[in-house]
Amino acid sequence: MQYYLKGKLNIGIDTIQHAVEGLAYLLTESSKLMISEVDFQDSIHVLGFSDELNKSLLQLYLDNRKEIRSILGELAPRLPSYHSLEWRLEVQLASRSLRQQIKPAVTMKLHLNQNEDQSAQVLQTDPATLLHLIQQLEQALGEMKMNHCRRIVRNMK
Amino acid sequence: GTVFWGLANKCVISNSFILDDPDLKDIDPTVLKHCHAAAATCILEAGKQKADLSAISTCLEDCKLDKERIEQFCTEYQKNKDALEILLGSIGRSPLHITDVSWRLEYQIKNNQLHKTYQPSYLVTLNVENNDSRSHPDVSFSCTMEQLQDLVGKLKDAAKSLERATQM
Repeated sequence: MQYYLKGKLNIGIDTIQHAVEGLAYLLTESSKLMISEVDFQDSIHVLGFSDELNKSLLQLYLDNRKEIRSILGELAPRLPSYHSLEWRLEVQLASRSLRQQIKPAVTMKLHLNQNEDQSAQVLQTDPATLLHLIQQLEQALGEMKMNHCRRIVRNMK
Repeated sequence: GTVFWGLANKCVISNSFILDDPDLKDIDPTVLKHCHAAAATCILEAGKQKADLSAISTCLEDCKLDKERIEQFCTEYQKNKDALEILLGSIGRSPLHITDVSWRLEYQIKNNQLHKTYQPSYLVTLNVENNDSRSHPDVSFSCTMEQLQDLVGKLKDAAKSLERATQM
């Protein structure tokens, strides 16, 4: 890109490189801090560019902020995260050591994301535990609606 | 003696060792081992096939056992039948079994790459039990609120299907 620009603009490679790096720094820092339109304008004002250039920088920031934040979000340290779950219902009817069984089970395939890779695990559970899992996880979801959590969320913003 | 059948039955369930039993110390250990193996095989086979008492009696009669011993065997068998079935049912391979779940709710504020992230995040740990070894490799993952809703929704679908299946 630098060579392409050099031919087009007839400026030194170093100058172009510094400009690109400067722009990247300005945009990532601003996006990382999620600064407001006014704060962005104040920040670039001291650089002494023309009003027109300042305006297009602001537009560049506003247009790309969302995408930059989503890219930065992917760089953050992350645990293996949930991707999806497949399940099937089955009844064990017999085994080598015991004939004539009736053992209901839910077999699940849990897909997780970890550092761009996807992994899957096959797990199984019995009906009673399944109901227990649902009950526990519903409590987890419900907790976010409780006053304590809502107060924290409100005060953070 | 007659006490033997009860003991043999107990041995299959509890794995205690008959040769150490003081009541049986006068019997030749080789004979004792043979008897134990025979009784254990009989009990395990009966358990495996879910044989009823009349089938067991017939089988033992064919082996020329007297009535009193057969009766004693059947009584003991009946007493330990459920434990035996559970034992036999637990043998064999199956996927990791989920036994419990724990969760943690956190609110993400910022990280070194990104400020003002402001979103709830759950850490879910599935407690898992392995059938044939003692190791319990728990499964942990993080998820957003939407992802947890997706997970719970799918588990509920499974539970509903299970309920419908049991009513059939």
